[in-house]
Amino acid sequence: MGFFEQIAAILQQYTPFFLDGIKNTLIIAALSVVLGAVFGTLMAIMRMCKIKPLRWLATAYIEFVRGTPLMVQLMFIFYGLPMVGIQFPDISWIPNFSRFMAGIVAMSINSCAYVAEVIRSGIQAVDEGQMEAARSIGFKYGESMKLVILPQAIRNILPALGNEFVTVIKESSIVSVIGISDLMYSTNGVIAITYRSLPCLAIAACLYFILTFTGSRLIAVLEKRMKHGRQ
Amino acid sequence: MEGNNIIEVRNLCKSFGSLEVLNDINTDFKEKEVVSIIGPSGGGKSTFLRCLNLLETPTSGQIIFNGVDLCSKKIDINVHRQKIGMVFQHFNLFNNMNVMKNLTIAPMKINGKSREEAEEKALGFLKRMGLEDKVNAYPAQLSGGQKQRIAIVRSLMMEPEVMLFDEPTSALDPEMIGEVLDVIKQLAYDGMTMLIVTHEMRFAREVSDRILFLDGGKIDEDRSADEFFDDPKSPRLISFLKKVL
Ligand SMILES: Nc1ncnc2c1ncn2[C@@H]1O[C@H](COP(=O)(O)OP(=O)(O)O)[C@@H](O)[C@H]1O
Ligand SMILES: [Mg+2]
Repeated sequence: MGFFEQIAAILQQYTPFFLDGIKNTLIIAALSVVLGAVFGTLMAIMRMCKIKPLRWLATAYIEFVRGTPLMVQLMFIFYGLPMVGIQFPDISWIPNFSRFMAGIVAMSINSCAYVAEVIRSGIQAVDEGQMEAARSIGFKYGESMKLVILPQAIRNILPALGNEFVTVIKESSIVSVIGISDLMYSTNGVIAITYRSLPCLAIAACLYFILTFTGSRLIAVLEKRMKHGRQ
Repeated sequence: MEGNNIIEVRNLCKSFGSLEVLNDINTDFKEKEVVSIIGPSGGGKSTFLRCLNLLETPTSGQIIFNGVDLCSKKIDINVHRQKIGMVFQHFNLFNNMNVMKNLTIAPMKINGKSREEAEEKALGFLKRMGLEDKVNAYPAQLSGGQKQRIAIVRSLMMEPEVMLFDEPTSALDPEMIGEVLDVIKQLAYDGMTMLIVTHEMRFAREVSDRILFLDGGKIDEDRSADEFFDDPKSPRLISFLKKVL
């Protein structure tokens, strides 16, 4: 049997496995990015605020998370949280809920740091003169932010946030090591049954690529549309 | 020149770290006075202007605007800034708003003007400048000269008591300088109090009551416009004028 026949045979039999993996990968990525965006926004605000200890804390967090491997962070959360008494309950109608949560927490913690940087650089990319003009005309700092700076920053931030989502889809393959049934985990499962690792990995690679490529095309369309509106 | 002092600058000093940019500046600006500020690049002209509306916080000294010390912690600087218009070298129109929004947002949000009132006033200004077809344009769609004239109108919408111009024509293509200078001349004619940092010597002589030469953080010469050019006293000004004229 040739390589492509093997792939066809595997797909014929195990497509539901892969689809289930895709579903979980997307759920994990989406939840992680949403949580990462919420907490990343808070983190970015802390990093830019006037209160020095908060700023220091946020900077330390961001640098530390970005400077350590996701794998280590994941293990740390998965084994560490139960040790300090934090345990996610098992919910009967969602299999493996506690593992799932550990994965999402770790991915969110990681994503939060990157999103914070995305937001900060999006705001700082807005020309300083915009804030000066707003302040010189009599707007308070907060008003200037809301009316002038953030509407411009959002155009830098949204596409970068989309890219973050694409990155998280890829990076999330790591959660399979703690037994979360994402796409990578399903792939390993099919390999264990069929003993055909290369065709299975080729399928997984294609599926990941379809997810990320679709994602980045969607972002590009969104970006273009935002540019068309103004400027 | 008659009239009350609208801005009094007392012992103004400004340093950035160890760099002393303004060194004990004292001067007054009277109502309806037009004063140009001239000097070499890096001499502190922008810093001086930005201290007047506290975009830069003076290291020491006082800025007294209509009798109120703007450096005092007790005042709300935002209220006073509304009355001090500022026009920047790079225009700084709000890029996320069209022309009409640029002009009306401050009067509406800060002064609580109705949309109708603000738009009618904005349209009046735009018509006078022949820019009424640009109401819906975004800044990126305008020429430099158009942007700067609209930036001037944006300040005027707040009915300022004094206008600060920081090299309003330095970022413009030569053919657009005239249209902006004409607007400023018209304002002078209408009696607006103005401080203008500029490198346009002929314009400065024509429009100013008084010219300051700011060099090395000090006012090195403070004369009427004609005397400034015809009878300069400061050696540094004399050599500066030799270079630029
Ligand atoms: N925010 C700042 N931080 C540090 N140095 C500054 C800052 N703004 C201006 N300076 C310095 O102050 C000096 C005067 O600058 P400026 O007022 O812009 O001069 P001018 O407008 O006359 O060219 C320059 O040496 C400049 O580098
Ligand atoms: Mg300057």
